[in-house]
Amino acid sequence: MTTAGQGPEAATMEATIDVRGISKWFGDVVAVNDVSLQVNPGITGLLGPNGAGKTTLLHMIAGLAKPSDGEVKLLGEPVRDNPRLYQRMGFMSANESVYGFLSGREFVELAARLYGLEPLSPPVDRAIELVGLTDVQGRPLSTYSRGMRQRMRLATTLVHNPDVLLLDEPLNGSDPRQRIEFQDLMRHLVEEGRTILISSHILEEVELLAGSILLMVSGKLAAAGDFHAIRANLDERPYKIRIVASDPRSMAAALVKLDAVDSVSVDADGSLVVLSRNVYDLQRSVPRLAQEQSIRLMRVEPLDESLESVFSYLVER
Amino acid sequence: MGALFQLSVRQLASRSRLLLILILALLPVALAALISALGEDESSNEEFINTLLDGLLIAGILPIVIMVLATSTFGNEVEDRTLSYLVLKPIRRSLIVLPKLLASIVVGGLVLIASGVVATLLGASSMGAVLVVLDGNVKAVLALAIALFAGVVAYTAIFTWAGLMSSRAIAFALVYVFIWEGLISTFLGGVRYLSVRGYTLAILHGLDDKSFGSLGERVIEFPAALLGATVTTALFFWLAVRRLHRMDVP
Repeated sequence: MTTAGQGPEAATMEATIDVRGISKWFGDVVAVNDVSLQVNPGITGLLGPNGAGKTTLLHMIAGLAKPSDGEVKLLGEPVRDNPRLYQRMGFMSANESVYGFLSGREFVELAARLYGLEPLSPPVDRAIELVGLTDVQGRPLSTYSRGMRQRMRLATTLVHNPDVLLLDEPLNGSDPRQRIEFQDLMRHLVEEGRTILISSHILEEVELLAGSILLMVSGKLAAAGDFHAIRANLDERPYKIRIVASDPRSMAAALVKLDAVDSVSVDADGSLVVLSRNVYDLQRSVPRLAQEQSIRLMRVEPLDESLESVFSYLVER
Repeated sequence: MGALFQLSVRQLASRSRLLLILILALLPVALAALISALGEDESSNEEFINTLLDGLLIAGILPIVIMVLATSTFGNEVEDRTLSYLVLKPIRRSLIVLPKLLASIVVGGLVLIASGVVATLLGASSMGAVLVVLDGNVKAVLALAIALFAGVVAYTAIFTWAGLMSSRAIAFALVYVFIWEGLISTFLGGVRYLSVRGYTLAILHGLDDKSFGSLGERVIEFPAALLGATVTTALFFWLAVRRLHRMDVP
């Protein structure tokens, strides 16, 4: 069982989100594979490359998708098909669709009505103000920019003041200023004791917000816990990487001088096999070295299949 | 439920969809007006009922209009991935399905009943005593309105469920209407007991067998039609709610 959240007492308390052995498969494709985790109050980042299973996992945590195996509890209750529980949960999907014919305010009012809020205006005003769209609330959503739509969707997620927020790629389409405002808003919400789980494929987004992360790779939970400890663990683990270059011997000679490289060997076919404990530095150095030596890089790929996605993920940063 | 009903009506009332529905609904009216203008005295009551009411309105336009509306009430939510806005709210699934159903019934029902009533009045005016409406007897018009309403409700339940089940709900609806009801029921009389068109015609005949007597040989028993329409509506409403419980929402 993996625990993410704030405070040393978090692991011993009943977790806000308790996921036990859940899997989800679509035919022969396993989207999520035997994942167990606990999330406690605070901001937790759900990280991973595209296709890692983050959205499927979030959908199961929110109760939108039924796990093929395992169970999910939110605030101590089974989440699937439990409408009463939705009063305490806010979910923002990665999909950006909205009812374009509604105005921004009507969209938030619709959510408030469906949550049974009465009177309507105070929570709607508050939610729209929180996302900074008071001035344009009367405009149809179809006329909003992508970032504005995202913020108004966030307002519908916050309108009922939920204890738990599940946000799937909430910063898609946001500009830098909006990102800063979003981070401030999330910190403010967490100070009030909420549990926030934010998924993202962009490390920097989560790095600034979340103390704890859950790292998904190929449908599995590859790592969980303190963000910096995980980064350190990833860097300490030796990676095997194949490099195919136009001049392998010169490339090998240049690579062995790097601190990030533990060893370099040359295969029979002339490709280089590099062992490294610091992929982050290596992926920055290889192109520079190749350029300096006027060597053409044909291929750079991880050989340890289980780490392929992690590698790609770090490289794509 | 009111908020969801309003949302659903606004979703259904897109300009292109309304235009299509209005064009379809005006066809029987236009045909009846043409008959009236040409003064086709030789046209019989039987021909009017068989061709215009059954052949065009009940067998064709009614299911097509409801198909267009009802398959899209949930179909569009699934396709646009907006369904999560509704299902992750603290409301029972049945209270999500019901307003969607009512929206199709209100939008489609109003247009279709108006179309049927106006076409009947125009047809009656051209044929003198055919439907005896102009003599002050509103029984035929009421019978038609009630029968159309029953058909609208039953078709709506089936096609709303289909919209939740598949992205190819329209193909399913077309097969049901034109193959099952239109073709197979011609050869197998028993199919009329499992046909919304059969229920609609039987209710029409059962409520006014004088004006719609010509349907007598082709319709099932009135109580069976009432029961069939009720069971069909309840069954597919329940199936839609069940589907909403069990499906993975995109």
